[in-house]
Amino acid sequence: MSDYVKMWEDLGMDLETHDALCQVLPTAFGDVYLSQENRPEGMGFWDFVVSEIHGIRPAELIEAQKNGQKVFGTFCVYVPDEVVIAANGIVTGLCGGSQFWVPGGEKVLPKNTCPLIKASVGARLDRTCPFFRIADMYVGETTCDGKKKAYEILAEDVPVHVMDMPQMKRAEDYDKWAHEIEKFAGVVEGLTGNKVTPEKLNEAIKIVNNKRKALKRVYDARKADKLPISGKDALLMMQIAFFDDPVRCAEMCNKLADELDQRIKDGVSVFPEGTKRILLTGTPLAIPNWKLHHIIETSGAAVVCEEMCTGTRYFENLVDETQTTLEGQYKALTDRYMKNNCACFTPNTGRIDDIIRLAKEYKVDGVIDVNLKFCSIYDTEGFFVERALKEAGIPVLGIETDYTDSDAEQLKTRIEAFVEMLG
Amino acid sequence: MTEDKKSEKRKLNYYILFENYTHGLALDKILKEEGLKSRIAPTPRSIQGKLSCGMSLLVQEEDIDGVRECIERRKARYYSIVEMECQINPNRNVFC
Repeated sequence: MSDYVKMWEDLGMDLETHDALCQVLPTAFGDVYLSQENRPEGMGFWDFVVSEIHGIRPAELIEAQKNGQKVFGTFCVYVPDEVVIAANGIVTGLCGGSQFWVPGGEKVLPKNTCPLIKASVGARLDRTCPFFRIADMYVGETTCDGKKKAYEILAEDVPVHVMDMPQMKRAEDYDKWAHEIEKFAGVVEGLTGNKVTPEKLNEAIKIVNNKRKALKRVYDARKADKLPISGKDALLMMQIAFFDDPVRCAEMCNKLADELDQRIKDGVSVFPEGTKRILLTGTPLAIPNWKLHHIIETSGAAVVCEEMCTGTRYFENLVDETQTTLEGQYKALTDRYMKNNCACFTPNTGRIDDIIRLAKEYKVDGVIDVNLKFCSIYDTEGFFVERALKEAGIPVLGIETDYTDSDAEQLKTRIEAFVEMLG
Repeated sequence: MTEDKKSEKRKLNYYILFENYTHGLALDKILKEEGLKSRIAPTPRSIQGKLSCGMSLLVQEEDIDGVRECIERRKARYYSIVEMECQINPNRNVFC
């Protein structure tokens, strides 16, 4: 029972409102996570992090700030962590995955904004997220209209730098993104007072690549016929990867992957034989959004892969480590980040290719295409996703949901029927 | 179903609380060394008093005697052990 009250007070948090979250989180975590049997031992690390979620990492960040480091809060997998790390800065994810924060966001945003944006803004304005309080700067990106406007609201309180994302993938768009990365490096240098040098950037590229490789090892273990880890445990690892120190993250993920590899050798599975394998694709699942994984995994199926920002998009493709000039490195970063296939691009056929490829690699029985309510770009792209999957003979179910509990039973009925249909 | 629910309700859980997570992680390590079952869990808010969020060790009814004996023998530091009916219900479908 570490006492973080003083730290939260110093951060100017609304303790009373925040306590309501402390009230519900242990129950939800118990129901979703601790109800599982035979989990990998290595998950103890992530259980620990959740137990101290608004305490232990914020305390580390504050300590780092006392030593002169700057903290950059980010919202999206397109923002290159490497640049921040090269300037001795720290990247952290920000709160945005709970209904708890949504009403706060609705005070200033239209109701028909996606829950992720409403929750993020609510967490900031209601002063109930330590990460939003700690960050010296928020780094946004123009991946959707809702976020663009939300950044303007957030910028009234805290410095915000917005990276202008290309919306197409032509040669000139690659040039534009390389230029945006270079400009971002200048902003990071300005705030940290540290120069981004080719040596430092190369070191940072290696750090983040190692983290990607470690996350991928855990995902690769989910390709096994006998699943050594549940989808929700893998999701938790992925969600916390956005907040943790990248070196420690890689170390813990590698440790978990070692255990999973051993489980595969020993034929240990956390699901009964014949459990249907599901690929989830769509909008991100920010912590503590565990709803869909829990419903799927209590309906006779297992989630084996997430083609999401909180999934394969976060770790697939490495940055070329051989470049020795900043220009070459910015280009290498551009090439890697532009390989991500977000629905903000037009066209975005690469995502369809990814989904079909992943469906084969992870030997899935079916795909669930999930969209957060009011995310029009993913919702619209669902038309192509579902058509392509049908053409490939892969069963698909399209779902639109938010963070509320009210549709849980309805979703369960639909998912159970889908799983049953998979034979 | 009703019988199941009743028996599930009767099952007791034990939460070992700590003054800080260093003590908690130390005991977690000791219990693992001794092959005793426990899991790191967020402490239910209802048993934390004025203290803030933090880790506890969750021990099942059948394992608590061995754990108590081990704590005693290894002189492990902890704050208290709280007994409560099992709060975990995967069918509740209430998220946060």
